[in-house]
Amino acid sequence: MHTELLSIFSKSKPQSKKKKKRNSSLHLQSHSSSKQKKTLIMQPCSREMQAMNSLLNPTQQIPLQDLHINGNRHQHQQIHVPSSSQFQYPTPTSTTHHDDSFLEQILSSTTSFPWSDETGPPNPEDNNNAGFNYDEMVLASKLRQHQINGGAAANPFSAMKMMLMMQQQQQQQQMMLAGRPTVASAAAGGGITTNHQGGEGSMQALYNVFGDGSLHGTMQAKSFVGANSATEMTQSQGSGPTAGEAVTAPEKPKQRVRARRGQATDPHSIAERLRRVRIAERMKALQELVPNANKTDKASMLDEIIDYVKFLQLQVKVLSMSRLGGAAAVAPLVSEGGGDCIQTSANGGSHPRNSNGDQTPSGNDRLTMTEHQVAKLMEEDMGSAMQYLQEKGLCLMPISLATAISSATSRSRNPMINHENPTNGSHLLIQSSGGDGPSSPSMSVLTVQSATMGNGGLEGGAASVSKP
Amino acid sequence: MDSQHLNPSSLKSRFTARFLRALIKINAQKPISSSSPRDIFQRYQRIKVAADKSMAYSVRSRRTWSRATLWKLRSRSRRRLASSGRRSSIKTRTTTTTTTTTTSTNHRAAIVEKTSHEKENKEDHVGLAVQAEELRELVPGGESMDLCNLLDETAHYIKCLTTQVQVMKKIANLYSLE
Repeated sequence: MHTELLSIFSKSKPQSKKKKKRNSSLHLQSHSSSKQKKTLIMQPCSREMQAMNSLLNPTQQIPLQDLHINGNRHQHQQIHVPSSSQFQYPTPTSTTHHDDSFLEQILSSTTSFPWSDETGPPNPEDNNNAGFNYDEMVLASKLRQHQINGGAAANPFSAMKMMLMMQQQQQQQQMMLAGRPTVASAAAGGGITTNHQGGEGSMQALYNVFGDGSLHGTMQAKSFVGANSATEMTQSQGSGPTAGEAVTAPEKPKQRVRARRGQATDPHSIAERLRRVRIAERMKALQELVPNANKTDKASMLDEIIDYVKFLQLQVKVLSMSRLGGAAAVAPLVSEGGGDCIQTSANGGSHPRNSNGDQTPSGNDRLTMTEHQVAKLMEEDMGSAMQYLQEKGLCLMPISLATAISSATSRSRNPMINHENPTNGSHLLIQSSGGDGPSSPSMSVLTVQSATMGNGGLEGGAASVSKP
Repeated sequence: MDSQHLNPSSLKSRFTARFLRALIKINAQKPISSSSPRDIFQRYQRIKVAADKSMAYSVRSRRTWSRATLWKLRSRSRRRLASSGRRSSIKTRTTTTTTTTTTSTNHRAAIVEKTSHEKENKEDHVGLAVQAEELRELVPGGESMDLCNLLDETAHYIKCLTTQVQVMKKIANLYSLE
């Protein structure tokens, strides 16, 4: 049976000749030299796949020989190592077995990475070959080491990343060869998003991949590779890669967050950024809970939240006051702002009102108290004043409107309308029935003349309290 | 109105059950006819405590604020009992709760120090320290948390408060229908 080798093993030379930008899908490449291998039509795979093919084809075929879709196991020796001179890959047979299973696992888990199979004799590269192969060797050894470390089943992704790394390396090499400033869009499978031009980008991509795959203990090799590629890069393209720069992390195994380009990968800054992100998330969640959450500023949002919590606590207090078996109509005026009076008037249970019970018969006193409180609150903080009103089921409205309403309803209802000439302005306090439940149809309007008189600077002018 | 409590184990239904039970108990204890302001105030206090307590109980100890509320209420009741001279019950209670109180106070003291230290050192949220302080005062048990957890607790606390207010409103309406 014939191995269906993946496109990793495609030749480097023909690929280098092809423009990578030409097509996004890997083509089958049938090489006359490779009789053993079949070629498959591949899915739209990135060029890195091709690169990887070419990379891996000449170099390490033993561990990757089983990179096929079907997972054939028999092809240990079918792919011969092209030329041992180029590639010193000391793979003992024991490791090949490791590799087989490991790679099979990879392949079975990631069937979305279809590899076209492509082999060919290793192409005697030009002068870059030495470093090229050295890098490959390093990468291959890393892969092997990774496999040996038993990380196979645990993280096929890192293995994929290693392969991608090799791809990228290959691509870099090829770019160097071709002298084309192609975009090393590293990211094919790993989702690494770099869009840098030329060697710098690929260098970063390389570093990125190195960093993201959990390559423990391969750091020295990385630096080696980095140095190599760096020198080669500078040779070929004269761009100085910035060592140590990091790029944004891929999403998949997000083991740690990398800093943006230009920032230090300082653990403190990372931790702080993480903290900020979490706080932002929580603020967003709070925004949904709190009404009037259209503030974008964090500080004002916090203010809103604080006010809302105060309001809710006040509501609980008021509600617990009013639920006294319906007998006593209690209108406690416990307010934080003005906060001194708890006025309880037992009305003998004439008619138990709703929770925000301001009773009509002797309501004048209470309403005056309310108004006093409101005026006091308004002086200090408009927000809490509004909320105080809100919890009592009151609202401010222009007197003209209130008079209109009261006159409209006073015909059918029990009017207790006291009008006084407002000095200025136009606001009324109108009490709703708390938004639910039955409410008495009577209406009473009271003006807060005293409040306005008392507080000269009060902006709300004449406020009158009316109750539906 | 009762059909809304479809989920028997939701926060709302748990709270409602407990609160109603507490209300019944309160109504049974004291006659409603007392109309002196002091009595009324007392009753109000009891009801409010019952409401907060039942809410905190419904949340168990899963949240810092509920733990703090329960702890506060228990210590307050213990103090009240101490003042009224019922030592035996205090003793039984203190044995069970001393450990928790001491640990919580120590823990809290330590954390307050730590957070104040942190606040001085970490100045990444410069202008929000004031509001964070205020929030800490509002949310029970909020003194011992950093901003991140504080916001979390606040979210849950707001949710519970809204539930509480809803249920209490409905009960009040029921009462007012009579």
